[in-house]
Amino acid sequence: MSTEQAIKEKPVVTWKGWLALLIMCCMFSGVFKNFEGPLKPLNILDFNTLVGTFGVDADGVNFQGKGGTGARDGFMFTITLVPGCIFAMGFLEVLTRMGCMEAAQIAFTPILKPILGIPGACGLAFINALNSSDIAAILTKQLYDDGLITDDERSVFVAYQYAGSAPIGNMIGTQAALLPIISLAMGPMILLIILCKIFGANLLRIYLKMTKSKRAAKEAK
Amino acid sequence: MSTAKTPAAAPAKKENFIDVFVIGARKGLSVGFNTIMPAMVMGYVLVQALKVSGIMDVLAVICAPIMGLFGLPGEAFAVLISAFFAKAAGAGAAANLYTAGVITAPQATILLMPCMLMGTLIGHYARIVLVSEANPKLTPIFFAIPLIDAAVGMILVRLILTFMGLM
Repeated sequence: MSTEQAIKEKPVVTWKGWLALLIMCCMFSGVFKNFEGPLKPLNILDFNTLVGTFGVDADGVNFQGKGGTGARDGFMFTITLVPGCIFAMGFLEVLTRMGCMEAAQIAFTPILKPILGIPGACGLAFINALNSSDIAAILTKQLYDDGLITDDERSVFVAYQYAGSAPIGNMIGTQAALLPIISLAMGPMILLIILCKIFGANLLRIYLKMTKSKRAAKEAK
Repeated sequence: MSTAKTPAAAPAKKENFIDVFVIGARKGLSVGFNTIMPAMVMGYVLVQALKVSGIMDVLAVICAPIMGLFGLPGEAFAVLISAFFAKAAGAGAAANLYTAGVITAPQATILLMPCMLMGTLIGHYARIVLVSEANPKLTPIFFAIPLIDAAVGMILVRLILTFMGLM
């Protein structure tokens, strides 16, 4: 399938896709973290519960030990992050195959115009940009080459993608060190990051709008 | 163009749940060792170098007023420097400061925002801005926006945590 076709065709979403999207939202929201009593089995819907914890020795210290420094401590610390990373990527792969991304595309396409001023054709790139920097960037170039977006729209979209690129993929992949420490769940943090990305892209959107006539006049000369 | 993968591309034969999970998990293993590990070691070494050389103490004093705006100690500036090079290195530096007792859990939460929003700016300039062939005249703006986003993000999270009574 060509990119152009992929952009124009409306994706087919089965009930599995919507279920996958729902599960993803539940898992990363942290909502199901602290259920007690009869609702305790619902903890299965929490990402961190499934990742679990390391065993500790009598002093409550895990295999990483205490008081390490430098590269060696960094190495040991990374080892503690790898299980969560393996689980998250495996899980995300399953959700993706279930059609999670197509469901997200249908859910998010109508809001692109109001939040970023870009057409719905950007839906596929927008959803891809949640997880990967590269595919979205290639799709964006293709959208412009196919005449589906203007140069200004591309600039705004690129500004959105560039800051905090691939918020879901990178949150799992690069921020693993901070996830067990932070005071908010992963889901709300991802939403806040996307909010800031939208804010920044809109600064450029306003700038481009304000300078549009000026730039047009300059080019006419 | 056939290189762009679409999520809609259905697998030729039906794969079972376990196979798919294992394929993704293998990617996770590779991300852990090939992406996170080098960046994390860099982040830890940078912090160690700054500490041993005494630069960290100087940074702490000089950067205290700026970082104070975001509810952070001056030492947290090291996280911003690491993050600029790699998102994971920023996270590693922040985790290191947390373990050392320099920052608290809510402060680590604030620092996650710049680690993501202004993380890996050089590397991703090529991968996103150049690949998409966006207008080169806007380059300074493309660089400025993530920095503004990071500042806004830190203030936003600080406000939320304050509102939640965590700070």
